[in-house]
Amino acid sequence: MIADRVADIWGARTPYRRDDHWPSRVDQHLLVDEASVERWVKAACVLCSNGCGLDIAVSGDKVVGVRGRADDRISHGRLGPKGLYGWQGTFGADRLTHPLVRVDGELRESDWDTAMDLIVDRSRQVLATQGPLGMAFYTSGQLFAEEYYVLAMLARAGIGTPHLDGNTRLCTSTAAWALIESFGADGDPGSYADIDHCDALFLVGHNVAETQTVMWARMLDRLEGAQPPHLVVVDPRLTEPARRADVHLAIRNGTNVMLLNALLREVIANDHVDNSFVADHTVGFDALRDVVEAYPPERAAEVCGVDAGDIREAARIIGTSQKLVSTVLQGVYQSHQATAAAIQVNNLHLLRGMIGKPGCTVFQMNGQPTAENTRETGANGLLPVHLNWANDEHVAKLARHWNVDDLTIPHWGPSTHVMEMLRHAEQGSIEFLWVSATNPAVTLPELHRIRSVMGQSRLFLVVQDGYLTETAQLADVVLPAAMWGEKTGAFTNADRTVHLADQAVNPPGQARSDFEIFCDYASRMDFRDRDGAPLLGFAGPEEAWDHYRVLSEGQLCDQSALSYEKLRASDGIQWPVNEAAPDGTERLYADGQFHTGVDQCESYGHDLVTGATNEKEEYAAHDPAGRAMLKAAEYSEPLESPDDDYPLLLTTGRSVYHFHTRTKTGRSDELREAAPSMWVEMSTTDAARMDLHEGDTVRVESRRGRIVAPLRVSGSRDGLVFAPFHYGSWDQPDGAEPTAANELTITAWDPVSKQPLFKVAAVRVTRP
Amino acid sequence: MNKLGLLLGRLHAAEVDLGDEWRKIAERHATDHDVWHIGHQLAEQCRARAESVRSIGERHDITIREPHEAPWDTLLATIRRTGAEALGRRPEPGLLLLMDLRGLYTAAHEVDLYWTMLGQVAQALRDRTTLDEVDGLHRQLLTQIKWIKTKTKEASPQILAVGIPLVGRHHDAG
Repeated sequence: MIADRVADIWGARTPYRRDDHWPSRVDQHLLVDEASVERWVKAACVLCSNGCGLDIAVSGDKVVGVRGRADDRISHGRLGPKGLYGWQGTFGADRLTHPLVRVDGELRESDWDTAMDLIVDRSRQVLATQGPLGMAFYTSGQLFAEEYYVLAMLARAGIGTPHLDGNTRLCTSTAAWALIESFGADGDPGSYADIDHCDALFLVGHNVAETQTVMWARMLDRLEGAQPPHLVVVDPRLTEPARRADVHLAIRNGTNVMLLNALLREVIANDHVDNSFVADHTVGFDALRDVVEAYPPERAAEVCGVDAGDIREAARIIGTSQKLVSTVLQGVYQSHQATAAAIQVNNLHLLRGMIGKPGCTVFQMNGQPTAENTRETGANGLLPVHLNWANDEHVAKLARHWNVDDLTIPHWGPSTHVMEMLRHAEQGSIEFLWVSATNPAVTLPELHRIRSVMGQSRLFLVVQDGYLTETAQLADVVLPAAMWGEKTGAFTNADRTVHLADQAVNPPGQARSDFEIFCDYASRMDFRDRDGAPLLGFAGPEEAWDHYRVLSEGQLCDQSALSYEKLRASDGIQWPVNEAAPDGTERLYADGQFHTGVDQCESYGHDLVTGATNEKEEYAAHDPAGRAMLKAAEYSEPLESPDDDYPLLLTTGRSVYHFHTRTKTGRSDELREAAPSMWVEMSTTDAARMDLHEGDTVRVESRRGRIVAPLRVSGSRDGLVFAPFHYGSWDQPDGAEPTAANELTITAWDPVSKQPLFKVAAVRVTRP
Repeated sequence: MNKLGLLLGRLHAAEVDLGDEWRKIAERHATDHDVWHIGHQLAEQCRARAESVRSIGERHDITIREPHEAPWDTLLATIRRTGAEALGRRPEPGLLLLMDLRGLYTAAHEVDLYWTMLGQVAQALRDRTTLDEVDGLHRQLLTQIKWIKTKTKEASPQILAVGIPLVGRHHDAG
């Protein structure tokens, strides 16, 4: 069927009863007659973390459409607006087709040898003068697992630098850390099928209707079917899920911990705790109870700016449900006390014993399509396959597999997060930065600072992308990369489902896959292992994947039995996939055994307030040995509060039609036309008070910068300003007023996950 | 003032000093956002702990005077912060940070020892209220020490090792 997914975002309802199978509905968008499609190539969508399986239609070495796969375990055939239309943005007329090299201040067309020689010469020079700590790499949540894996190998074992991070730091670093701190390892415990079985849904800072439209379609079909689940939504904005909710808690941004502590208190006070689960499978209950005791609903109501009765009602729904599914995303991860708050949602599930069973799970969601792989392969601040950098035996295992000296792999501390890398570049100790498939000049906080650091002449900046992004415009060398559909690789969604996306067409011009580019660099740098063999001697992505899955054996994310062959035959398969579970594993921790033993855990954990790291001895002394950890956190005031000069609170966010900085979605006609340009939102009351109306041009200013955009008047809570973060300058005329939301944001990050704070900044709104 | 008063007075002064140190390090390294935010947060913890020491004193009929802010403190803070911003693009503040962390580490350990003494005294006096209170506050102080170690471990390599040739020969390509 031909769907209009711009007007009808979630498509026709297919309601179903609790515990029934979610009906299939195949969505398709073709630019040609179905008869002229030459081949259908199996892949999955890379425009959000759902990872819906689809087939790519090819005609004459061109992608001419997509079709959802009815049997796919994630989508049951559906595609959202980005999935249906976004792929067209991959094949825009302004794709990069040649390497570009900066000459006399200008980027000029060049060739691969010239560009790579420049990069290699500069690498050698920086290694000679600064050493490996002068080199840094910043990657993405949109490449494939194999590409991250070879990047991690070349950075950690080839160069030997701790400076490797992914833009997943901005997106779901907190998801990883919340899972590690509670359960011992990264990896969401549940299955999307849990939505089919639950009797209550708790969405915390997760506007699923816009960020994961197909997941919301599944929830909507439950809500409209027989025996619908109750719905509790925490969001300062009146989002689509909020409109549908039994209880909508429109809290003041930055107060998640206050609210969640009150909910925990109520669950305990009303005796809704699964005492035997808590006694057998957790540690830390007494300390948690003592902390949350001081958070009665009235106190939370006052601080969060919501009704105490609503808090009680939410606690009643959560406390009395038999099967609870909770989801958490940026409203928590990019907000104040990110990790501490995300952990409190885990705590609700642990107190209720609702984890590892059908219909019972918490989703610490992902944002980007391949964020899970950035984390899993060690390109997001942790070691590959969730090894613990502070555990010498884990590092030795990695060094053996890579056949390098364990001292080559930096493990004296955590890998450097991107904000810290920028600080080293600012101070001049990092002189080389290689950015792949991401656009920090639009997405990092406090953009005037980011531009000034990345634009320094003493920093050599390599940018590898499909288009000339805002960041690429600052580069010394730009490398044209193949994109989705033009290369092969595996990736994993938010419920551990792995898909393989096969190459459908050739990349344009001289563009090469990120995999080829990284391997070429390693070869030109002559990186070798201990026996003198090339470090990245992989003939192609499949060999790298095989190398990776051998390393994963015995880890929680064990994919040792997951070959390309098996992936090609599957409709999405969830890790662990090993000899014991050759068809994958739907739920983790079904036996109540968590990954927390001192020898297996991914980290010894942190103090949630300061981020101070626990030492191994300390952890071993209280070894949870398979029990989950209930960790309590006191609420603290956000770093910036409204005052007389800046009386409103900014939050940034997403549009259903766009992804990241619109590099792809802004080049799809349907999506661009659906949301062509920047806007900001204020509540009806605030707008009326300032005599502002829908469509008026307003200026939003913080202590760090300003933007100018038309106003939308919405049902958000009073005192809130919302600004989507997608709109940089690449499609704006020179001299246009700034529109990027991150001109306004503050430079600060969560002490544990190091995820920057995008959801709390004091601003004022005026007429320009 | 009895011997307990002497201990509480010393502990109080040490907490006030430690709070000052946190604030100063935050201001001197204002362009290191981690130090800036955490420094201020931990200074606030010190202030609150000093307040708890005064209330422990009150329970034992010991009066400890609240510290007062010197009029030039705000001015000095501004100078430190402006200095940090001016040096934000130079490598030298890195070395200064390590020295400052060393100073903090020493100051925090002095406070640690006083809390240890107070905990022991509370046990000997069978004073459960004070004992419980000391336990939480002492643990909070120990977490501050842990942060100082974490920060030092993370910061040292970039500050001290950049520009020095590697000893291991595993870097054939360089």
